[in-house]
Amino acid sequence: MSKPSDLVQGTLDLLLLKILALQPLNGFAISLRLKQVSGDVLQVSDGSLYPALHKLEQEGWITAEWKTTENNRRAKFYSLTRPGRKHLEKEADNWGRLAAAISHVVRLKET
Amino acid sequence: MRPERWIYKLPLRLRSLFHRQKADEELDDELRDHLELKTRQYISQGMTLQEARRAAVLEMGGLEKRKEECRDARGIHFLETFAQDLRYGLRMLRKSPGFTAIAIVTLALGIGANTAIFSYVNAWLIKPLPYPQADRLMVLLSHDTKKGWTSNGVTSSADYFDYEKQNSSFEQLVPWTSWYFNLTGDGPPDRVLGGLVGWNFFQALGAQPMLGRTFLPQESQPASSHVVIISRGLWESRFAADPRIIGRAVTVEGEAYTIVGVMPASFQFSLMGVSNMWAPLALDDKARNDRSNSWFEAFGRLKPGVTQQQAGLGMAAIAARLEKTYPQTNTNATTLVSSMLFEIGKNEGVQQVMISFYLVGLVLLIACANVANLMLARASSRAKEFAVRGALGASRFRLARQLLTESLLLFTFGGAAGALFGIWGVHWIENAIPDRIRGYIVNYGRGTLDVKTFAYTFGIAILCGVSFGLAPAFGSSGLDVIHSLKESAGQISGSRVARRLRNVFVAGQISLAVVVLICAVLLVRDFAHMVYGDIGFQSRNLMVTQLVLPPAKYQTEVQIRGFYDQVLARVRALPEVESADAGQYTPFGDSNQVKLIQVVGHAPAGPGEALGAEYSAITPGYFQTMQMVLLRGRALEPADGADSRKVVVINETLLRQQFSKEDPLGRQLEVGDNHDICTIVGVVRDTKLFNLTDRPMRQIYVPAAQFPSAHMSIVTRTARPSTEAASAIRTAVWSVDADQPVSAVRTMDDLITERNTGNRILAQLLTFFGVLALLLGAIGIYGVTAQSVQQRVREIGIRMALGASSRDVTRMILGQGLKLALTGIACGLFVAAAVSRGMAAILSTVKSSDPVTYVAVAAFFALVALAACYIPARRGARVDPIVALRCD
Repeated sequence: MSKPSDLVQGTLDLLLLKILALQPLNGFAISLRLKQVSGDVLQVSDGSLYPALHKLEQEGWITAEWKTTENNRRAKFYSLTRPGRKHLEKEADNWGRLAAAISHVVRLKET
Repeated sequence: MRPERWIYKLPLRLRSLFHRQKADEELDDELRDHLELKTRQYISQGMTLQEARRAAVLEMGGLEKRKEECRDARGIHFLETFAQDLRYGLRMLRKSPGFTAIAIVTLALGIGANTAIFSYVNAWLIKPLPYPQADRLMVLLSHDTKKGWTSNGVTSSADYFDYEKQNSSFEQLVPWTSWYFNLTGDGPPDRVLGGLVGWNFFQALGAQPMLGRTFLPQESQPASSHVVIISRGLWESRFAADPRIIGRAVTVEGEAYTIVGVMPASFQFSLMGVSNMWAPLALDDKARNDRSNSWFEAFGRLKPGVTQQQAGLGMAAIAARLEKTYPQTNTNATTLVSSMLFEIGKNEGVQQVMISFYLVGLVLLIACANVANLMLARASSRAKEFAVRGALGASRFRLARQLLTESLLLFTFGGAAGALFGIWGVHWIENAIPDRIRGYIVNYGRGTLDVKTFAYTFGIAILCGVSFGLAPAFGSSGLDVIHSLKESAGQISGSRVARRLRNVFVAGQISLAVVVLICAVLLVRDFAHMVYGDIGFQSRNLMVTQLVLPPAKYQTEVQIRGFYDQVLARVRALPEVESADAGQYTPFGDSNQVKLIQVVGHAPAGPGEALGAEYSAITPGYFQTMQMVLLRGRALEPADGADSRKVVVINETLLRQQFSKEDPLGRQLEVGDNHDICTIVGVVRDTKLFNLTDRPMRQIYVPAAQFPSAHMSIVTRTARPSTEAASAIRTAVWSVDADQPVSAVRTMDDLITERNTGNRILAQLLTFFGVLALLLGAIGIYGVTAQSVQQRVREIGIRMALGASSRDVTRMILGQGLKLALTGIACGLFVAAAVSRGMAAILSTVKSSDPVTYVAVAAFFALVALAACYIPARRGARVDPIVALRCD
């Protein structure tokens, strides 16, 4: 069984939604972008990427389309749906609150 | 969830369900694409093609596994797998037809028996009575507060009319009684079963006629009561479904009646039994004011808002007033209110159905345990297959689900076969119920097998499939993959969990089988006692036919006597007849009469203590024809004629109760309302009158010559019962009076059997259940022992190589099987002791704790278990150590 990397449970979904909110991408590009934007801090294995994408697709947050890439290959491009965008906003807010709360706790001075 | 998302979700789901192939191909493409891009990326970073490809695949972490995960993410995966499991399961079942056949037949028997019995539970106890607002229908019962006796029927007809006038609880009260009608003209004379009913009978039941009308209020007056309503059955059989039947005149009891209505076939009143004709219960003033006799029953419909309890209190208040006003007749007499559904529930059969329902449930459990055991055995012989699948990446859950699916498949087939067997079972039971009893069965013929029944069948099949399918699933999940792979085929002993489960199943199965068998044996013994027990007369080769002379035609005692003398003379002259006599009321007949008696010289009975005795007027040879035993004095003789002194013969119960030390012979008895003084001339043995379970009751016999009756039954003893004799008897009657209706000539044995329909069918059913339980139990213990021997061949080989004799081996295997069996039997005895108490109510000659039955069943079961273990034990003893140790 593969663990969803070292990410906090559920955050992979959030990251994927955010990345797709910027522009539609195929799976390989998503994996590159993940590493790129997180400055290699977040290691998402290729193995967990695709099941996560398929799950999001099934949930109706993202939708997929077969397109031809610049070098004339057929590839599956994922993009955010309207419900997906709403979901992202909600999840981003949640994440903001959670992160703020945790960092607040972590910064407590020890006496 | 907002509907919007479904716009995206639904097409995807449908696609993955119906275009599985395409979806899979696309997934392949997508992942391959990814790997290619990744490989290219690594190459551009300076790796060789091979290194790059390897790195890309490694990073993916197992391509097949990812694909599986993606399919899981598609959600539809579950259904897909189910279809796959189903296909695989079917293939497995086909591959081992022996196992499949045994399992399905076992389940079919268990489930089918349940289906059949449930259909009766459904018809009698679950379906409502076939009347609108049937729960508002109440029955009046008369109750003796001193003796605590409750009986059907009103306390007296005068009381009934007081209740009718004074009560404020019932919308309407309806008097009714079962009745025979002599129907003549329009074909052969016929005796038609039916009832005399209050004019509002059909109205209170909410029944509409299919033709004509129901009765009118004024038709309760004797002057205008010559109207009848007939059943659809009679309308079709006797009147050829004549559409202009309404208004037609028929001859009933020799008088002209008018048919005013035809009731549809669906109309049924199961308290009355089979009924094909109804006439108004019309009472003259004398009958209306009679406060000492009761000969009809009553039911009523509660007013809206009135509860059964309130109605009961209301009736009790009226009863108390009547008791004060009429102490001579009404002391200790009160009226109870009971729901009609409850009273029908007391009908013959309902208890029997419930007992079979419980026992048949146990049989199903036994059958399920057997199949679960077979599946467990198969699961352990399939251990290697599962080990391989496990090694290839199937999760435990996945394997368990496969087994569960297979079990469900098996149970569904079992359910389908069971439904067929159930239909057959229902037909068998229906045919076993005599025609005359059918009328008493609520909802009889109204689709006993309905949707609810089949829903029940498949419900239990699936429930059992899941719960017992879990056993092999659990059993297999304890398997050690590596260990199993290393072992050679046939040597895998299955997981410890599986072995233990099998033992528990076998022991449980045996204990349940012991319970079923004990209940069955108790009931069969009880039934046998009753059938072959002492009934006070010889029922074999005795035929009975009832005659009721129409009063319009036979008005004088001389005419009546003349008719019966002629009929008896002609019947006696028949070649096959040994002797023939007549009795007003005969054992196991449809009617009886209780007359008040008083021993002359004894203190008169106080209020509410009047002495009743079953009464019958008989011809002189009656005791001889019936082969009843005369204990003292003499039988009635031809000399006891109309003009000589009145005589009576009493039975031993009356003797015991009233003449403890005195000699009864020569004493006098005051009989009936006319206070006839009769001299006691003899004492006969008690006879059973209604049921084989009757308690002893007082009986008196008087000469028909002194107490003539238009209603007599001819009892005929023949060398052997024959249909020729039966029709000859009917012809003999018609040779005296061609218009005289004759009831069917029945053998006494038939009448007795009919009376015991419920227990007879139950005894037959339980015999079947018992044998089935025994068989399944034996198969169970055989299976477990046989498998254990097969798995321990090598161990046995080693033991023998080390010096164990084949006798030692046999003893070892037998010992283990017997230990299981004895554990099961012991548990079964305890459970049976508790369970059989529920049968006490229908057992009359055998106690539910009868030790003989318990010991015999336990011993018999132990023997069967021993025999079942002996076969595999012998196989074990024949093991050749050299072969056993070499084979690998």
